[in-house]
Amino acid sequence: MKSITKTKIKTKSKMIALLLTAAMAFALLAGCGATETTTTTSDTPVSEPTEPDVQPEPAEADEPVAEDSGAEPVTLRLFTNLPDRQNGQGLIEQMIVDEYMAENPHVTIAVEALDDESYKTKFKAYAMDGMPDVVNIWGQPSFLDEVLDAGVLAELNEADYESYGFIPGSMEGFKKDGKLYGLPRNTDIMAFYYNEKMFIDNGWTVPATYAELLELAGTIHDAGFVPVAMDGGEGWPMAIYLTDLLLKLNGDVANISKEAINNADFSNPVFAEAVQLLIDADNAGLFQTGYDSQDYGTAMSLFTNGQAAMFYMGSWEASMALNQDIPEEIRTNIRAFFMPVVEGGQGLATDIAAWNGGGYGVSASSEVKEEAIKFLNYMYLPEKLSKYGWENGVGMSAQDQSEFMTGEETELQKIFINIINQATNTSGTPINDNGSSLLKTTIESNIQSVSNGSMTIEDFLATLVEACAP
Amino acid sequence: MTKQEDARRFKLGKLVLWVVLIFVAVIQLFPLIWLFNFSLVSSTEMFTSGILVIPEEIKWSNYSTAFEHGHVLRYLFNSVLINSLAVISVVLISIVSAFAIRRMRWKLSGLVKTLLLLGMMIPIHATLLPNYMIYSQLHIKDTIWALLIPYVAFSLPQGLFLMIGFLESVPKEMEEAAVMDGCGIYRVIFLIVTPMLKPSIATVSIMTFLNNWNEFMMARTYLSTPTWKTLPFSLLDFTGQYRSNYAIQFAVMALTAAPALLVYVILNKHITKGVAMGAVKG
Amino acid sequence: MDKLYRNKLVISTLILPGLLLFLFAILGPIILSVFYGFTDYSGMGSYNMIGFENFLNLLKDDKFGLALRNSLLLALGFLLIQHPIAIIVAVVLDKLRGRAEGIFRCIYFIPNVISVAVIAFLWKSVYNPDFGFLNKVLAFLGFSGQINWLSQENAIWSVLVVLIWHGFGWGMLIYYTGIKNIDPVLYEAASIDGADQKNTFLRITLPLMKPVIQVNVTMAIISALKQMETVYLLTGGGPGDSTQFTANYLYQQAFESFRYGYGNAIGVVFIVICLGVTVFLNKVFEERQEQ
Repeated sequence: MKSITKTKIKTKSKMIALLLTAAMAFALLAGCGATETTTTTSDTPVSEPTEPDVQPEPAEADEPVAEDSGAEPVTLRLFTNLPDRQNGQGLIEQMIVDEYMAENPHVTIAVEALDDESYKTKFKAYAMDGMPDVVNIWGQPSFLDEVLDAGVLAELNEADYESYGFIPGSMEGFKKDGKLYGLPRNTDIMAFYYNEKMFIDNGWTVPATYAELLELAGTIHDAGFVPVAMDGGEGWPMAIYLTDLLLKLNGDVANISKEAINNADFSNPVFAEAVQLLIDADNAGLFQTGYDSQDYGTAMSLFTNGQAAMFYMGSWEASMALNQDIPEEIRTNIRAFFMPVVEGGQGLATDIAAWNGGGYGVSASSEVKEEAIKFLNYMYLPEKLSKYGWENGVGMSAQDQSEFMTGEETELQKIFINIINQATNTSGTPINDNGSSLLKTTIESNIQSVSNGSMTIEDFLATLVEACAP
Repeated sequence: MTKQEDARRFKLGKLVLWVVLIFVAVIQLFPLIWLFNFSLVSSTEMFTSGILVIPEEIKWSNYSTAFEHGHVLRYLFNSVLINSLAVISVVLISIVSAFAIRRMRWKLSGLVKTLLLLGMMIPIHATLLPNYMIYSQLHIKDTIWALLIPYVAFSLPQGLFLMIGFLESVPKEMEEAAVMDGCGIYRVIFLIVTPMLKPSIATVSIMTFLNNWNEFMMARTYLSTPTWKTLPFSLLDFTGQYRSNYAIQFAVMALTAAPALLVYVILNKHITKGVAMGAVKG
Repeated sequence: MDKLYRNKLVISTLILPGLLLFLFAILGPIILSVFYGFTDYSGMGSYNMIGFENFLNLLKDDKFGLALRNSLLLALGFLLIQHPIAIIVAVVLDKLRGRAEGIFRCIYFIPNVISVAVIAFLWKSVYNPDFGFLNKVLAFLGFSGQINWLSQENAIWSVLVVLIWHGFGWGMLIYYTGIKNIDPVLYEAASIDGADQKNTFLRITLPLMKPVIQVNVTMAIISALKQMETVYLLTGGGPGDSTQFTANYLYQQAFESFRYGYGNAIGVVFIVICLGVTVFLNKVFEERQEQ
């Protein structure tokens, strides 16, 4: 297994960030499925921990993972944005925490978990005095710039991670002046999840263009369903929607958004056009009534309970396919498509909103920094986060997951692997996260006003300019 | 006006009166009944039409999940402990401070009284930011002190205000007689004055308890680990979980509301009396 | 004996616990807040003194103005909607004798003992367009279509309804107690004079309740200013900033936008406003009483 990984790493370095793993993953998915027999996709969320006697091979020999017994008792504080410990990514994290404690009896890991919004608030509060030892971070300017300026994260040694199979480029967001301060956990792709059975039963087809999407909204609405469940109460999903549209209009979003933010200039007409397309969606009734005040859970439950035909959310929710809380006839029929092309736009259907966002870092002020880094490295062993994530249908990690293909992936996983394999361009960090935290809060609160018609496009763009102005 | 007409008018008036009272009662209660109803259905059934939902199968399991994953027992214990300590502290401190201000003779008593009562006008939330900083520096964040100190401090002005008022109506003769007999001030306060303040102690206790029982902004800002989290966190920490099984959230809400509701229904006469006394005086 | 009451040591031991607590938990933080109000501290790392810049920015900040306007709206809602209903219900309740009186009084106060957290989440569900209670009632009454109760235009009114609902029992109870404290002899005298119910209410009940009404009005205005918990959980100040309140805004600025210094400046102005309003109301009521 180890040698396979090594050969892969060599070939990999030549290729572009996200696209490559996928290409290989796809090849393996097609070909190697049958040969892999040691792992099976577990149907229940509580999958068995891997055999504890299979000691993970340490990346570098100088740092043994498991300490001898009799070591000083240590308590590590893990601060995470994954409050749901029974499903998805939170389950994976908890599994690894439990395994680590079992293998290292002297270590106790105290988990504090909050949902995104409270997490970020609390994180900033923690930054004033002392961070917990291992923390969830986002490799994006809106979050990391101020955090790194304040020096609250410990520097990591990039060379330690050569054998971890990170996708080239995925660490970039976690670096400052060439130094590494965190590791990416996921490769995130934004998608329209849809209920295939509902589509077939009603004779709806997956839209190929944005106009078709808006037209479909009317049809679905007339049939008595919500077309797209949108978590609009928080601003970020809509900001990603806007990023998605910018990509489809312009064929590139990373450069124009960075340029606009740096120069405090949003006069490029493509911004106004993209906002207009968002407003069109509101006018066409694409989202549920009251989308601009509803939270994640409310929006998601509309979809998972069969009230909404689609749900606009990231690939991290691919684990819905295995979530026992969702009625079976719904969860087994969840599929995904991606933002359709806009007529006259430069973007292709295979240009996707994808980025490496979430990850982990270690506190600079941690009193048990060594132990914390040890635990961090343990989590990132390919057979931990990546493998468990894959087996539980969580979505894609930022590491090479191709060797964990079983051929029994859920349909959703296959769809995501396919699109990343075919991707011609990616958006990179969404626009709201590409500037200061002030820009982020500005976009996220005002995008509700502009999409529901309470604010004009000009005023909206003007507030962005103001937030970017030095 | 004949007697008959008068009687009819009286009856009609009585009817209107009842209708008004019942209408208001329904408005005050119905959201809670609806909450209880939803806590027993499955997530899918929530979307069925009709004002109340009759579940195919009553989902008591919502409650067991909620109870277990909401850490209800642990947080309830924390809430009871922290609030009891806060009530005791507020009562004790307000009695001795009120005595010092009203009975003892010193120059600055007026100024100190004004200063302490000023606390009633200070918005709690304005102190969230600086207090966070102070507690961090002192390393008492995420300890019981981070809640107890502000809870007591912000309930004290009101408690003091009420105590001063009540103390004025307590006759001085008894304590003066005790002092003549050679009793010290502390014994006068605790053995003679305090027993006479019983009804006001009840009022201050109830007001303090009601103020702090449901508080969560400070707790949310100053606490991080579950060690000292209070009952509202059973709900607050739960909302991120079980996104796809929404009905369980209603069970958690019901459980979070239940303890205070139960105590209130049992002791409602005393509580309303206490509040009324405190509020009219304050 | 006088000496005993003037003993400095005894006085100190009695007053110090309360005074120290006040200095440590209230006055000290306010002074610290004033200090940070003059800095550009982000909440992490180093900071510079920037003089009055934060306060000047605050004057130009539309959202701060919006928050104050919302407080005013809320106060008006309390005074014009909640309190009249509370007074009427209190008067009606007073007429009722026996068990029913106690039961109604008990029911009206129930929302007050329920955690604000539960109230906020409960009403968020009540307002939900898809499974919420309100739209279900409308559907039951034959109304088709969904009303978006928390839309940018409606949200502030919906918040108002929640707060009126939640605080109703408290206000009612105080008025009720005020009525109970009125000497029944006065009513007897009025009925002998042949005054009807309306006249009794206007000539006797209302004037005698003046002090109670003043207390309640002051409390309503102050609580409108201090509002935070419910909007924090119900709307988070949104959509847009349509339900922004001062306390919520300072919290967001400090902890979400990395503007700890600015947040503290808001806090300082917030305190000044609260003190000012309280003093102003007391003055107004005092003068009226003297007349």
